[in-house]
Amino acid sequence: MAIDDATIIDALRRHLSLAAAKQVVAAGNLANLNTPGYRAREVSFADALDDRLASAATMRATHPAHLAGAPAEPANVREARGLPSRRDGNNVQLDRELLAMTRASGEFAAAQTALAAKFRLVRYALNEGR
Amino acid sequence: MASPLRSAVDAAASALAAERARIEVAVSNLANIESTRSAEGGPYRRRDVVLQTAPVDSFDHALGRASAIGVRVAAIVEDTTAPRRRYEPSHPDADADGYVALPNVDPAEEMVDMLSAARAYQANLTAINLIRDMVQRALDLGRA
Repeated sequence: MAIDDATIIDALRRHLSLAAAKQVVAAGNLANLNTPGYRAREVSFADALDDRLASAATMRATHPAHLAGAPAEPANVREARGLPSRRDGNNVQLDRELLAMTRASGEFAAAQTALAAKFRLVRYALNEGR
Repeated sequence: MASPLRSAVDAAASALAAERARIEVAVSNLANIESTRSAEGGPYRRRDVVLQTAPVDSFDHALGRASAIGVRVAAIVEDTTAPRRRYEPSHPDADADGYVALPNVDPAEEMVDMLSAARAYQANLTAINLIRDMVQRALDLGRA
């Protein structure tokens, strides 16, 4: 099976979006490190993948705010499970969130490197090998 | 669409402001640990910061997109616990029994608050640096 450049570039783009979404969610958690009652959120990759597969077949509006035909974002944010709460009802863990951010940063860098290499090849082809 | 990474920076920045407010309040509590007179009358009362979540990008939030949740100072409230009392008849603010009402500030509590706020401040600065690295890498894609 041939995989064309557009498919690879699109997959890498989704990877970048997912890493960015993880970064955004972790930053929100860190910002609320001391907010009473705040529950940590996380991006669930399995859920995001399921969503992606479901939306690839049919584009459904599952939320009244959805715009018709808008591509589904590959990010599914839900409350993090299994984290112990502090006395004020907050369950954000500083090290966990910083680790998530570092990891997302690494994923982003990896996808960006691959995407840059891909673009370089495309540019090479466009310039007829010059 | 506003860049999601920008909303992450906004969230971290809102946390920097909130944590700085906590440190400022803890410092003013410590500074007034012996203030027996205040603008409201009576001894200074310990103040506490109440934090509240605040979506930084309400449009993305309404669409259920991954938008960062920021934080804001909802209120600065006065601690209502009773003032400390110290026997000091020579003090100008002593009552008829010779007791002076002193602010209900506990230095240990303020120190712990300041440490926790400073740690959270550092963590959010680290977060901003990580996001900046990501934005920089994304911009590198546009370079030849």
